[in-house]
Amino acid sequence: MSMPPRSRTGSGPLVAGLIIAAVVAVSVLLLAASGATPTGVWNSFFPVHNEGGVTDRSTSVQNLYDIVFYIAVVIFLIVEGLIVWSAFRYRRKPGDTELPPQTHGNNLVEVIWTVIPTAIVLFLFVLSWQTLNTVEAKVPSDVHVRAVAARFQWSFDYLDADGKTLFTQALPVGDTGGMVVPVGEPVLVDLRSDDVIHAFYVPKFLFKRDVVPGKTNTFNFTVEEPGTYRGQCAELCGAFHGSMLFEVHAVSKGDFDTWLADQVAKANATPPPSPSGAAAGPVVELGALNVAFSTNALTAPANAPFTIHFKNDDDKVPHNVEIKDASGGAAFVGDTITGVAEINYNVPPLKPGAYTFVCTVHPNMTGTLTVQ
Amino acid sequence: MASTTLNPTAPAYRSRSTLYEWLTTTDHKKIGIMYLVNSFVFFVAGGILALVVRTELAQPGLQVVSEEFYNQAFTMHASFMLFLFIIPILAGFGNYVVPLQIGAPDMAFPRINALSLWLLPLGGLLMGSGFFVSGGSAASGWTEYPPLSGAKFSGTGTDLWIVGLTLIGTSSILGAVNFLVTIFKMRAPGVTLFRMSILTWTVLVTSVLVLMATPVLTSALIMLFIDRNYGGHFFDPNNGGNAVLYQNIFWFYSHPAVYIMVLPAMGIISEVLPVFSRKPLFGYKAFVFATVGIGALGFSVWAHHMFTTGAVFLPFFSLMTFLIAVPTGVKMFNWIATLWRGQLVFKTPLLFAMGFLSLFLIGGLNGAFSAAVPVDFALHDTYWVVAHLHYVLFGGSVFGVFAGIYYWFPKMTGRMLGEGLGKVQFVLLFIGMNMTFFPMHQLGLAGMPRRIADYAATSGWTELNLLATVGGFVIAISMLPFFWNVLVSLRNGKVAGDDPWEANTLEWATSSPPPPYNFDHLPEVRSERPVFDARHGRTAAH
Repeated sequence: MSMPPRSRTGSGPLVAGLIIAAVVAVSVLLLAASGATPTGVWNSFFPVHNEGGVTDRSTSVQNLYDIVFYIAVVIFLIVEGLIVWSAFRYRRKPGDTELPPQTHGNNLVEVIWTVIPTAIVLFLFVLSWQTLNTVEAKVPSDVHVRAVAARFQWSFDYLDADGKTLFTQALPVGDTGGMVVPVGEPVLVDLRSDDVIHAFYVPKFLFKRDVVPGKTNTFNFTVEEPGTYRGQCAELCGAFHGSMLFEVHAVSKGDFDTWLADQVAKANATPPPSPSGAAAGPVVELGALNVAFSTNALTAPANAPFTIHFKNDDDKVPHNVEIKDASGGAAFVGDTITGVAEINYNVPPLKPGAYTFVCTVHPNMTGTLTVQ
Repeated sequence: MASTTLNPTAPAYRSRSTLYEWLTTTDHKKIGIMYLVNSFVFFVAGGILALVVRTELAQPGLQVVSEEFYNQAFTMHASFMLFLFIIPILAGFGNYVVPLQIGAPDMAFPRINALSLWLLPLGGLLMGSGFFVSGGSAASGWTEYPPLSGAKFSGTGTDLWIVGLTLIGTSSILGAVNFLVTIFKMRAPGVTLFRMSILTWTVLVTSVLVLMATPVLTSALIMLFIDRNYGGHFFDPNNGGNAVLYQNIFWFYSHPAVYIMVLPAMGIISEVLPVFSRKPLFGYKAFVFATVGIGALGFSVWAHHMFTTGAVFLPFFSLMTFLIAVPTGVKMFNWIATLWRGQLVFKTPLLFAMGFLSLFLIGGLNGAFSAAVPVDFALHDTYWVVAHLHYVLFGGSVFGVFAGIYYWFPKMTGRMLGEGLGKVQFVLLFIGMNMTFFPMHQLGLAGMPRRIADYAATSGWTELNLLATVGGFVIAISMLPFFWNVLVSLRNGKVAGDDPWEANTLEWATSSPPPPYNFDHLPEVRSERPVFDARHGRTAAH
């Protein structure tokens, strides 16, 4: 039997070249168009843009990531290099009428490429086990917070040494909300859910933990840098899963103690007279249902007090109305009510202009208030 | 050449219409082709849902769909792609190719084979019919974790999803029994276990995985159904149940399912690479042992999907997850050694097979990050994981599927697919795939969780999401030359002949398409490459 003649079959390198050229060109164009810098691109390959985590444990996670990353990059370059090299070097050429050597295998190389990867993964395993012990370490903590996840908002119970609730922070975000913790002090967090599974995730902590109904997960951390850190539910919990945002405010120990004392005092004080008093000035209607406002455009008169009649139709879900001026500062923050309920907000006079109104609990609920 | 006729034709044996013939056939080849066609229908449906998801995410804010529909879209995208595209299409290749490769006339149980096929569209339609009931389809993700998937939070669509998936699982189990009996009992003389093709080996190991794992999934689904409809409390923590129990049972199936979804694709490219390198597969036995090793280790890594639940023993599952990289790495090196010093013929099947190597490599390496438990705490349930699983299942399995289609289309239809359009498809798909899924690594590292319908404009995720969306449409466009190629080639493609690729295995020793019952004569089988041996005069020609 003779081999049928074959035409030159060298289009592979051409195709590969085209692909590489196209991918490189498109990537460079897109990166340039979006204003990315080489440093920015490089940093995007590391957690939280290579800015580093902010807790005592996140540094070790970051280090472990870096080691895995560099090993993976080296392996990638070697193996992908071998594949690309084969494509260019070993393509069939016009003179190749004889079969190439029919190599069936080689036990020595099989052993080599079994043993070396085994050594690498065992090394990584030991390293990650050590890091795991750092991340999971339990330390005695004076600050004890219970993060309660519910569809679709977070609240934070501050607990005393006996585990009794001192007060509940019902607003998950904002200047007056969020989970406030002291810098440099160990914090113990209990996680609780009474409905579905959620997950406590703060990207800057390089950490998340599921909030499982019927099971109390706990973890420790110490924030080392003051600041406000974005957090979000990371386990699908229903339609508005993407709206379950929260913030962690890390403040100095002194500020934290003052804040905590204030909050506890406020919680113990007799509740203020019901704010749903008589409406003053013109009344603007606004509702909330399914974690959305009933409208995204409101109008109100300028330089005169007016009332927002706010009706929260979301069963067991807290909402409020906050009005922000053009600079993002709060012009008015309404009390949070948990549905189903309604309230009259007496809003002070506002200057003419466009304001944004949001629900502090659910920052993706927004609209524009035109004052004229 | 090879053809068989029923002679003499019994007078009562009336010829039926072609449609009737296909609907009632028990021929493994026709059933295999219908598996492929059915899978592609759901591939298109799942692809459209993926485009809905990508379009919604292109910009911050909700522009296209509601939050409720968004959740249904990604849930059904994954359900269609995993249960109704990747798993069945690989079973379809197994159905078509395995009996031919072992020299058998058909599968061991042809009627059960037909049942396995027809359960699939039924299960798929039941699942998909969720879109038309009040409350919409299942929307708790393809994993359907309770309590979210319980009666309190999810509607009738979830029940349809459970029932549909149970039927699909039954189809898989019946198929696995059929493959095992066929492979063990129906091999032609000379086809010893260690002369079987690698595809047959991967189908064998896959069938064992299906047989051991799928009934466990069915049990989870039945418990969920009882919880939802008959007041059971298996997964209800308020009544003594355990929500994490479902995750354990579910992943005890669904992690081996990842290997069910990728091993046969590895088998396909292990057929393609040697043929188009004009060399035998390097390290055949090592490859077989690695396949068996992946199958065995695959049962001890399920909890790496649950590292953040706080309910699993982390070091054990971390170790096993790292270890399973080893047999996978062995395969990668054997594939490259097969190319090494070969004479690569760059036809479309080889392009897709080499695409598999390049992309699956990334899917393996980015998986190692999640095996390191503390890193997984940072990356779990972010877009990093979405990138990882798509490099494995799209870059791996789907590229393997296309390699298989371009490779066996001539055998199935007697005509070649066009090379030009094939290369256009490959280039578009390769670019689109990377453009869509590579930026998801960075999105995950930047803290974007998966399964969210919306994100803030200030989060800094907009550009990469837009890039991924554009890539998604490039993938969609890359399918147009493919479908056009299939339609045109069916009528006007170059006539293939018995063995257009100068291939190795027994399916190329019969006509294209093969006659009913496959072979008139079988060549002598003295190695895993009987057709190669015959071509080069090493054994008697057929």
